[in-house]
Amino acid sequence: MGIKIDPLKCIACMACELACGYHRDDAFALLSSCVVVYRTRERKDYFGVVLKEEDSLVIARPEGLEVKKIGAAEEDSGGGDASAKPMLLREACDLCEDRDDGPLCIQVCPVEAVYQD
Amino acid sequence: MEYLSSDKIAVIDLAAGEVEELELDEELVAQRIGGAGITSHLYAQYQDEDPIVLGAGLLTGTLVPASSLAVATGKSPLTGTLVHAPLTQYAGQELKYSGFDYIVIKGTAPEPVFLWIHDGIADIEPAGELWGAEVWQAVSQVRAQMGDELIQVLGAGPAAERGSDLGQLMINEWASGDRFGLGRALAAKKVKLIAVRGMGLLEIAEEEDFLAGCLELLKAVKAGAWGGRQGLGELGAALGYDDFAAWLEPKLHRHHAAFNTPFAYLGFLMLEGDPKAMNEPQADEPGVLVGDPGALGALKALGLNVEEAGDILKACAKAGLDAAGVAKVCQGRGITAAADILAALEDISGPVEGLSGPFSTWAPLGLAPDEASWRRRMAVAHVFGLDPIFMLMAPELSEDKLVELAALGTELEITTDTLEAVVEAIAG
Repeated sequence: MGIKIDPLKCIACMACELACGYHRDDAFALLSSCVVVYRTRERKDYFGVVLKEEDSLVIARPEGLEVKKIGAAEEDSGGGDASAKPMLLREACDLCEDRDDGPLCIQVCPVEAVYQD
Repeated sequence: MEYLSSDKIAVIDLAAGEVEELELDEELVAQRIGGAGITSHLYAQYQDEDPIVLGAGLLTGTLVPASSLAVATGKSPLTGTLVHAPLTQYAGQELKYSGFDYIVIKGTAPEPVFLWIHDGIADIEPAGELWGAEVWQAVSQVRAQMGDELIQVLGAGPAAERGSDLGQLMINEWASGDRFGLGRALAAKKVKLIAVRGMGLLEIAEEEDFLAGCLELLKAVKAGAWGGRQGLGELGAALGYDDFAAWLEPKLHRHHAAFNTPFAYLGFLMLEGDPKAMNEPQADEPGVLVGDPGALGALKALGLNVEEAGDILKACAKAGLDAAGVAKVCQGRGITAAADILAALEDISGPVEGLSGPFSTWAPLGLAPDEASWRRRMAVAHVFGLDPIFMLMAPELSEDKLVELAALGTELEITTDTLEAVVEAIAG
């Protein structure tokens, strides 16, 4: 079961993104995260979360979820916003398979916007 | 400095147009920890050249809950004393990952400039048309010029450029916690803004124990008095603002949080369109982000409705004015109608009565049991780099735990005695 995101619960704190970077790098960094808060439309207060899975990009917009198959997503900008490293070049979510406690992004989300069924 | 650090300080000499890079000495961190502990040390070192010193805290940008804070330390045009302006939202983490731990900005540039801090490089660039631009225009322009929409901008607006001591050091388009006119101090150096982008990596000494400590703190915070709550309405109620949530409701859109901060106190007032609609607004500038409960409360106390308050906050944000200072000055002059306040913004300035001490009352005194404990929490927040408002809400972020994490993260001998000495040095 993959990670789920409730975009209306999300408060754009980026804890999930930082946690994912920690999982990848054993350090604090943001460039390797497969879960990213898109926040370039701050002037409109429009934000959400993009998650890269093995075969798809999950784009959790405030008005609803969109899932793009990777092949289709490659035809546009990558399903998110400007970021230092395009989502399609990042590793897919592995559900933190090396952790006994499950995905770290779920553990650090303060508002349960990231979860598993 | 190997851990939780980029091991670099930039000393920017505006008069000479030169940048010197220094290592961050581990011994200095072992003595002063970070944040305001070290910005105040660097301020004293370069005091003759009237510096403004930017810095992140030791724990800024980590998984320690509320790790959002950067500090701007300098002499306030309003008080004439050394102050530490709190910079939250995404500014702290961006600075922390920029490749510099601290940035000393000293002297005055011969012509207007902006500073570009990224990837361990600090550049001085001509300001060109940025100088004179209103805040939102300058933010758009510098991001377009550098080709990165995620650049965080610490800047001065037209109000600061004309010498208003209400000229705030802004964060992107929005107000910061600067009550001290450091925007004016920056503009007086002929610096329009500091553009920051952070894509670095912070190593952790004892990474597994550090992570375990962070998760334990988050669990405690979520079980605390503010767990499961959010928003300006809740915050205003705690501060005793009458019917605050109901007053906000007609224009309130969503809340969001400063970086890795569990309580979302940044509220967006949607002034155009339906505030309850969640699709992307058509208007380019539909509203204003409010992260200053005191400013909002002060405008409400003048008898304004939320739409009027929002219009004033938006105008202040574009001009780069501290809205709390504006409300206070207008109240003192008997200016209380929204149209009159908006008209007054063009040439408004201080003084603002009642400012004292090195820390900003943007983090409300009303959230602390007394002034002494407020000052202590401010000092601890500004040393470790933790959100000052949340620090007042979360006693779970105890000094013992933070000291323990600082030591785990760095392998330095940082103790409660170290913290005590730093608090004493910066808070008096």
